[in-house]
Amino acid sequence: MSGKRIRLLIWKEFTQLRRDPLLIRLLLVMPVAQLILFGYVVAVDIRNLATAVVDLDRTVTSRKLEAAFSGSGYFTITQTPRTEDDLRPLLDRGTVKVALVIPEGTQDRLTRGETAPIGIIVDGSDSQISAVGSGYASQIVAQFNADRREASGVAIEAPGIDARVRVMFNPTLDPVNTMIPGLIAAIMMISLMVIMSQAVVKERESGTLEQMFVTPIKATEYLIGKLTPYAALATAQMLLVAAGGLFWFRVPFNGSVWVVLVGLTLFMFTCIGLGLLVSLVSRTRHQAQQAVMFIMIPTMVLSGFIFPIQSMPAIIQPLTNLIPLTFALQVLRGAFVKGSDFAALAVPMLALVGFGVVIFGASIVATRRRIAE
Amino acid sequence: MTDRPDDVPRPPEKDAGAEPAISLRGLTKTFGDFTAVDGIDLDVPRGQIFGFLGPNGSGKTTTIRMLTGTLRPRAGTARVLGVDVVRHPDRVKRRIGYMSQKFALFEDMTVDENLRFYAGVYDLPAERFAAQREYVLRMADLVGREDELTRNLSVGWRQRLALGAATIHSPELLFLDEPTSGVDPVARRQFWDLLYDLASRGVTLFVTTHYMDEAAHCNRLAFIYRGRIIADGSPSEIRSEHMDQRILDISTPDVDAVLPWLEAADDVQEAYLSGASLHAVVAADSPLTPAALTGRLAAAGFARPDVVEVPATIEDVFVNLVARHR
Repeated sequence: MSGKRIRLLIWKEFTQLRRDPLLIRLLLVMPVAQLILFGYVVAVDIRNLATAVVDLDRTVTSRKLEAAFSGSGYFTITQTPRTEDDLRPLLDRGTVKVALVIPEGTQDRLTRGETAPIGIIVDGSDSQISAVGSGYASQIVAQFNADRREASGVAIEAPGIDARVRVMFNPTLDPVNTMIPGLIAAIMMISLMVIMSQAVVKERESGTLEQMFVTPIKATEYLIGKLTPYAALATAQMLLVAAGGLFWFRVPFNGSVWVVLVGLTLFMFTCIGLGLLVSLVSRTRHQAQQAVMFIMIPTMVLSGFIFPIQSMPAIIQPLTNLIPLTFALQVLRGAFVKGSDFAALAVPMLALVGFGVVIFGASIVATRRRIAE
Repeated sequence: MTDRPDDVPRPPEKDAGAEPAISLRGLTKTFGDFTAVDGIDLDVPRGQIFGFLGPNGSGKTTTIRMLTGTLRPRAGTARVLGVDVVRHPDRVKRRIGYMSQKFALFEDMTVDENLRFYAGVYDLPAERFAAQREYVLRMADLVGREDELTRNLSVGWRQRLALGAATIHSPELLFLDEPTSGVDPVARRQFWDLLYDLASRGVTLFVTTHYMDEAAHCNRLAFIYRGRIIADGSPSEIRSEHMDQRILDISTPDVDAVLPWLEAADDVQEAYLSGASLHAVVAADSPLTPAALTGRLAAAGFARPDVVEVPATIEDVFVNLVARHR
């Protein structure tokens, strides 16, 4: 092995990368775009939901109830239609996501000690908004009832709507805190697999791969020269995502940097291995793209990156153990959110070792054989 | 590592006693059930332009890849520049060069960067690289265009630059796999001039091609067909040994109709297109004369056939060899 030739190959790789302005932009824009996408869109902080109030009661009580909704910060009253019939088009058009209907005589009923039904209508077309919105509404009504009971001393058995429904999770914080650690692993996987396999296949297409193996360049030197630049790029992208997550989205980091680094390094071997395997089975760059899609779609769906594994059907759940990203996510989320140490993450760490040995090992053996053939 | 630093220029060995540049015995390569190269024996003397001819898929590239040490043969021996290339492929890599039909330049790198890379791969000392770079730039007519991306060069320039890159380490033996495919006739001619120049400096050239006219540029030829060598020798030897038939050249505007007629004719062994005209192969002792064939064609209703007897070209020999081995 010659260090000089490896340095030459790395120089060559960076020279070629520099000539591809689109790729450079992609390498920088992709992590930033994903951060915005997953930080703001998927893990959206549900606040200021556009709300319509139909107040048919027009009493002190009804106005208090309205104030309780608008004061919570979760609902912004943007429309006040006169009748329920005027409400329907607002919901249909999506002008409002939530509607509060206070029927005539609500205050009288409450004064008489009766149950006063009020209507809360939530736009069900967005499951997240409907779940979170109805949860908040229930809490506000419960609080309203409790306040009233305390102030008047009147015993009311079942006032308003059922107030026992409570929001069991914190939707304003939780998704972004688990999404961004996951994004670090996902970005690494995409970068190494897509860009590295493209680079190797391009070299085969152009005949330069064949040419290089007629020269004294050894297969190992070629591999090191190819992997190093892309591993460095992936590291830079991960740092960008981590910095964005920690400083912009203020994702708390409760764990050990070492746990994260060891986990990512182990996962990196798997990603490099997958990239090489893709480049081996693909004759053209287009085929490589298809092969990457073939791997990425089940990875994204089954790893728990977007959909929680717990909510998958029981027969599907064992399949998630076949996806390397599943374990990388466990390590990163464990370290970020829960501050888990090596002992607590032994199972996913060992799984990553296993994937690394099998996938990276197989890809190196196969690449060397392919190069030799 | 190699057993010899590459910066020591080796004088061309032209004495007859020297070991051949390439010596193959029973070289065989199979891919699954398919035998790509089937036990070939071949000797290529040093300092010659050796033409390795054959149709596509006949085993030319597979043979070259075994000779350059990138493919392991199934059986047989291959000695390149006196080295057993099967057992010690690394010992010969610094002494050989290779240029494929793809030209294999890094298209997103400049002329200069490409040369720098290949010079670095062979560990060329700085002053030797400077001299070689100078030579290649002049040879490829790229002086002043050093910083241009090779992607932007037209084919002829790319081809010459690829030749320069493949020979930057002054190899003793250069393999060229269809180096002129897809190149216009003028550039092909210029390229062959460069190959002659290399040969005059003692470099052995092993060239594959399916352009039969290029065979005439070679000192020696071998024909490979379905993995077997079916003829080998100098162009004139091959013509005299493998061609005892006569060739009649037929110029007619009715090529499409005359060809099947000739193929069906009893005393015509073989008929095929050659350039714009047709060639009919007849036995040496056949009584068929050009005049007689003209008469028969005219009688069959073909307009203005013009028949002359021509000496066999390498292409004629090759077509006949293939027909015989089919």
